[in-house]
Amino acid sequence: MTTRSDSQSRRRPETEKPRFSAIRLIYIREMKDQLRDRRTLFTIALLPIMLYPLVGTLLLQIAQFTREHKTSICLIGSEHIQSAPPLVRDGSFVEPYSELANNLELQVRGMESLEENDTFASATERWIQDGTYDAVIIFPPEISADSDRSDEPIASIKLLYNVASDESQIALNRVTAILAKWKENWVSETLAASGIDTEQLEPFELQDIDLAPERTREAAFWSKMLPFIMLVWAMTGAFYPAIDLVAGEKERGTLETLLCSPALRSEIVWGKLGAVASFSMLTAVLNAGSMLVTSAFVFQQIGIAGSTVGAPPVVPMLWLFVALVPLSCLFSALALAVAAMARSSKEGQYYLMPLMMVTLPLVMLPMLPGMNLTAGTSLIPVTGMFLLVRSLVEGQFTEALLHLPMVFGMTAACLWLAVTWAKRQFENEAVLFGGQDQWEFSMWVRHLWRDRQPVATIPQAYACGAIILVALFFGRLAASGAPNDLAGLTKMIISPQLGLILAPALLMSVMLTTSIRTSLRIRLPHKLSIPMAIGLGISLHPIYLTLGKWIEYTYPVSEEAQRAMLPFVEQVASIQWQYVVFLMAFIPAICEELAFRGFIFAGLVRQGGRLRAVLVTALLFGISHGFLQQSIAASCMGVLLGWIALRTGSVLPCILLHFTNNALSVSLSRIADLNLPAFQLILTNTEQGPVYQPLWFLACMGMTILFVFYFAVLRSPVDESNLVEYFPQQDKLPDTTNAEAG
Amino acid sequence: MIQVDQLTKIYDDLSRGQFVAVDRVSFTVNRGEIFGLLGPNGAGKTTVLRILSTVLAPTSGHATVAGYDVVSDPASVRKSIGFVSNNTAIYDRMTAHELVSYFGRLHGMTSKELKPRVDLLFDQLRMNEFRDVPGGKMSTGMKQKVSIARAMVHDPPVLVFDEATLGLDVLVARNLLEVIRALRESGKCLIFSTHIMSEVQRLCDRIAIMHQGRILDIGTLDDLQARHQQDEFEELFFGLLSRFESEDENSWNQKISFDVNAPRSGGAAS
Repeated sequence: MTTRSDSQSRRRPETEKPRFSAIRLIYIREMKDQLRDRRTLFTIALLPIMLYPLVGTLLLQIAQFTREHKTSICLIGSEHIQSAPPLVRDGSFVEPYSELANNLELQVRGMESLEENDTFASATERWIQDGTYDAVIIFPPEISADSDRSDEPIASIKLLYNVASDESQIALNRVTAILAKWKENWVSETLAASGIDTEQLEPFELQDIDLAPERTREAAFWSKMLPFIMLVWAMTGAFYPAIDLVAGEKERGTLETLLCSPALRSEIVWGKLGAVASFSMLTAVLNAGSMLVTSAFVFQQIGIAGSTVGAPPVVPMLWLFVALVPLSCLFSALALAVAAMARSSKEGQYYLMPLMMVTLPLVMLPMLPGMNLTAGTSLIPVTGMFLLVRSLVEGQFTEALLHLPMVFGMTAACLWLAVTWAKRQFENEAVLFGGQDQWEFSMWVRHLWRDRQPVATIPQAYACGAIILVALFFGRLAASGAPNDLAGLTKMIISPQLGLILAPALLMSVMLTTSIRTSLRIRLPHKLSIPMAIGLGISLHPIYLTLGKWIEYTYPVSEEAQRAMLPFVEQVASIQWQYVVFLMAFIPAICEELAFRGFIFAGLVRQGGRLRAVLVTALLFGISHGFLQQSIAASCMGVLLGWIALRTGSVLPCILLHFTNNALSVSLSRIADLNLPAFQLILTNTEQGPVYQPLWFLACMGMTILFVFYFAVLRSPVDESNLVEYFPQQDKLPDTTNAEAG
Repeated sequence: MIQVDQLTKIYDDLSRGQFVAVDRVSFTVNRGEIFGLLGPNGAGKTTVLRILSTVLAPTSGHATVAGYDVVSDPASVRKSIGFVSNNTAIYDRMTAHELVSYFGRLHGMTSKELKPRVDLLFDQLRMNEFRDVPGGKMSTGMKQKVSIARAMVHDPPVLVFDEATLGLDVLVARNLLEVIRALRESGKCLIFSTHIMSEVQRLCDRIAIMHQGRILDIGTLDDLQARHQQDEFEELFFGLLSRFESEDENSWNQKISFDVNAPRSGGAAS
């Protein structure tokens, strides 16, 4: 795909406020346009209204069919169980087994009729395989009960069935139940015969009582199922209008008409977003509603006995709207932003598939058993909202209310990001008028080399992040257990840092950019910022530890993981202090910062992407840490590091801050063990390890504010987000244009 | 009305690297004048006009339309410009009347202002017989009329026609040229881009010949013929193109600085 020139491809953001009247106008037009489209009407309205009743009718018929289908069983060798309690008489099961044998076709065959035939085994097997019988029971001659069985092996009754056939499986289950009961009777008869009171065989009786109120019981299934179906439809319902309203309009040429009208870009985005969200909600409501009504009817008809699934409760399901509105808007904004990249409807469908793949797990997550609304899960986008609605449907209002602020805060943040992304897409020329030329590998490689710039381009920065994460994933898979000596430990820590984090960034910097120093952001920052970064590292550490504790409390580390970490922790504790600092503070600080706050940051910060650079590098940095608890802490730290990188325009303060923080983390217990009187004001040793003194904690908070204030007022020596200076062709242009560009 | 100064647009292109689509283009267009942009396909005409309609942002240089800067005040520019291009299609599922009214409303016109204006346009452009026909069922000529009505609904002082006669049959194209002439009489400022020489000859007061992102020469037809001592316009055009391709770039740079100033004194007189 062709991308437009870097320096100017995004117009400066509009300063004018969007007019409500214009948004409404665009919204109404888009809605009318979609409603006049037969395809849209079919998918969003006709299909759900027709589909579910049709499926329901089909289900009812299938249910009748299965009820009528008889299970056929062949019983061979009944003559061998004459002395046992009676099981069959006149070709059918006797009381009390006959009640288990409902709808069961039994054929009794004598052993002798088959024994003459030498292919007895193959004959019975054939019966099962060609479906003559669903199961065959064979009583061997040894079963005769009158023989003294004390020194003989236990006789086995053979049950032939076919696991590949559902009917055969059902037959097996039913026959097993009958035989189990028969065996029970046989045992008690034998015991009674030898004078034992059979009553004593059952010391207790089980009685289970379900205390869940009727409403919850019914809701339990539906509160899992219905939101899932609704959200999947909300997604699907957003995709097709989004493709049509952006990619389709691009294809038909009407988007440019709208873009050169006086409507502001923001008005266009809001109008289209409103229309897409409306269709998303409409699709979801119609589908869920139709399904609710149909299934209520079907379940009433079938009436599955003993099943926890009842007819869905209709009124509590109204709570679903709480989730539907914000999530529909979220999906719509994402779909709109992604669809904007496509040049045609067909291309749009290709682009939306990956989006579906990313969002679907978030919708499926709440379906997992044991997923409940907690502080941790409430912060997962989409999933949190889903769980909140579930507790509302199930009537647990206090719990829902408790997590409401977090769920809504998270959803609002995601929504804001998605809408901002969509708006930016509409301000981006490369996205709206992307080139039409063919992509070819050799041409692309030549382009990479020929059009190298001093810093990475945005796609290159993303690619670098992706390469690092994928490499780390496979690196972890390949890593073999805990190391048992110092060399092994060194290798385990250093090789991913150098080989999987620093190497990709360094290689890309050498091969794809013209200046290693600029692309890795190795610049001399303001002199004072160096001690300030170290100071911030020290003052921030108590807060960072508290954050870590909070995270561990919210998302507890499994005992298994803790046990797996133990040898590693012990080994680290046994090495010399300087070496630990080198391994776990110096190396990661340099490698990770050069990659994340260096190469990737420099690429992402271009074209006014300050927020993007900070957030994306923080996220990548977080994910690179491998397991959840560390990732969250690292992402928070990453945001701060990214902000410092932005303020100072250099990677060096980040390296120092990162180093200080890591070094303190690995040396804290050793410092406390020294028992120096000076440090006792700062640290105390507790059972869980060293802890900062409360007074020091407060002092650190104060210092942190000061340091942060310093960085906030610092002026970056370079404006990396506006990279006109890097434009190689600019020097060909007259001076006047150079000064004016920007 | 329109002032374009050293306008440059650079794309990043996979096959060509950094591709200069528009290279230091400068010109002015006055009220009551039809300015023709003539050039082969890919000369950069559409890019210049897209920058003027604020759909694209320039890499460097300036352009003002009706006194508003295209970069710093795009919304005001869009209010004073009407843009008809073969890239600006009309909606398939909207009738002619709905579409024109819709864009009028987007311009902030009230129903009271809108109704007489739309009626007038439909009369002028003879569009009443397909007033309620949806765009998908219209012929190319009908669509083009709707596009023109859409661009003129807010009565803008500046109108831009980018390859507007492309794909039209002779009759409809002739009609369109008449409409454009009538617009000049009412004092509008018009830019007309095309690759068809005869249209430029018949219609335009001043002509700029564009090739490979550059304006090779600007002037009235008479100016150009006199300057290049060539009465046959077609010969003049091809001569200019081949000379540009063979000559050294620097000599052209000097030529451009000379040419840009020339029409400013003589342009309005035509």
